Amino acid sequence: MVKFGIEFVPREPHWKIMYYAIQAERGGFSNLWITDHFNNRNVYVALTTAAIYTNRITFGPGVTNPYMVNPVFTAQAVATLNELAPGRVVLGIGAGDKTTLDTVGVEMEKPLQAIQESIDIIRKMVSGEIVAYQGEVFKTAGAKFLFKPKGNIPVYVGAQGPKMLALAGKIGDGVLINACHPKDVEYAVGCVKEGVNAAGKRFSEIDVAAYTSFSVHEDIKKANKAAVPVVSFIVAGSPPQVLERHGIDVKKAEEIKEALKANDWGRAFSGVTPEMIGAFSVCGTPDMCIERIAELLKSGISQFVVGSPIGANVREAINLISQKIIPRFKT
Amino acid sequence: MDYRKLVELIPVAKWEALSDKLVDFILTSKNDEKMPSPLANTILHYWQQDILKRESGLAVLLEAALLLEPDKTVNAFTELQMANIAEQIKEALPPKEGGI
Repeated sequence: MVKFGIEFVPREPHWKIMYYAIQAERGGFSNLWITDHFNNRNVYVALTTAAIYTNRITFGPGVTNPYMVNPVFTAQAVATLNELAPGRVVLGIGAGDKTTLDTVGVEMEKPLQAIQESIDIIRKMVSGEIVAYQGEVFKTAGAKFLFKPKGNIPVYVGAQGPKMLALAGKIGDGVLINACHPKDVEYAVGCVKEGVNAAGKRFSEIDVAAYTSFSVHEDIKKANKAAVPVVSFIVAGSPPQVLERHGIDVKKAEEIKEALKANDWGRAFSGVTPEMIGAFSVCGTPDMCIERIAELLKSGISQFVVGSPIGANVREAINLISQKIIPRFKT
Repeated sequence: MDYRKLVELIPVAKWEALSDKLVDFILTSKNDEKMPSPLANTILHYWQQDILKRESGLAVLLEAALLLEPDKTVNAFTELQMANIAEQIKEALPPKEGGI
């Protein structure tokens, strides 16, 4: 049975996010993911609040990266969280986004290697080992916690490109696939399976999540309107081959990118077409979203993550998902 | 303003509808900075216990909604056919900045 996850961005104050988190837990969501960007509120403060205000939901950063946050610190943060909420903590980790890293002058060096090494270090630290690690990107000289970490923390790898997806399948306990369209998710799952096979694992051993940009409303116009800003940024950040795969005019995407650079939101948002919304979000009425989720499930995903913007009114959208969408996948 | 006393004036049959509106005002408000942290934590604590539709929950929601969205909150009372309470709240609210 598919699990439903939900993503929140701590640009919002903690009390809004925690209101929604409690609501989501009650409404049948099983996973809560909090994004990690230096320019928002701190992810681990948000997750600590989640540990306090929720009871059952599994939660973790979705996703952190080893360039901004050293793996040793990430291990410390998730191990401490797991003391607060034993068995409910997971770790989402990916290479990060280049634009954000550039802003703070951090280089994205050898991303595949960096992810592999950081996961090695984190797993060793969380299992209480003394870690002397000589990697190509990360090195530790006898790092060890002065407290005894408890329990296992599943690691999910956030991935988009084929090599990272395969690595995620190979070393991850889960994968967060950053895609919304069935074609993209199917392709990504194929890459994950290559990694799974290379590691001699079974595909069913890992939790494969489609981490989507999502917008639901009973009125499709309102659902679309909420999705447009997020989709405009995705379109602007997508490479030409991805745009072409979805039949999107690269020139139009370039115009949106230029408008966003100039902070001309009106021009950028008005350039977003229904095709772009269809390619880069799961958006529409509850029935339309159900149809799209059902298509995505055919590729073999085991978790569907509802990401920003969720809906024009987040509270109403969570209610719609809980009452009309999740029950359709529970039978 | 004594929010508990204010809740006592509201017919019990209207608590649920009012609570729903107030939560919406608070969550969609752009005046986040006006929310005092202890009040936010109390609201979350009550939400966790699922008592925001009860007397104590409604009192904290009213306090927050009147801080963040006073006009919408007063209008909600009128919409829910409690114009007399809306008037009492208006009189008790501090005058708006920039007023004469």
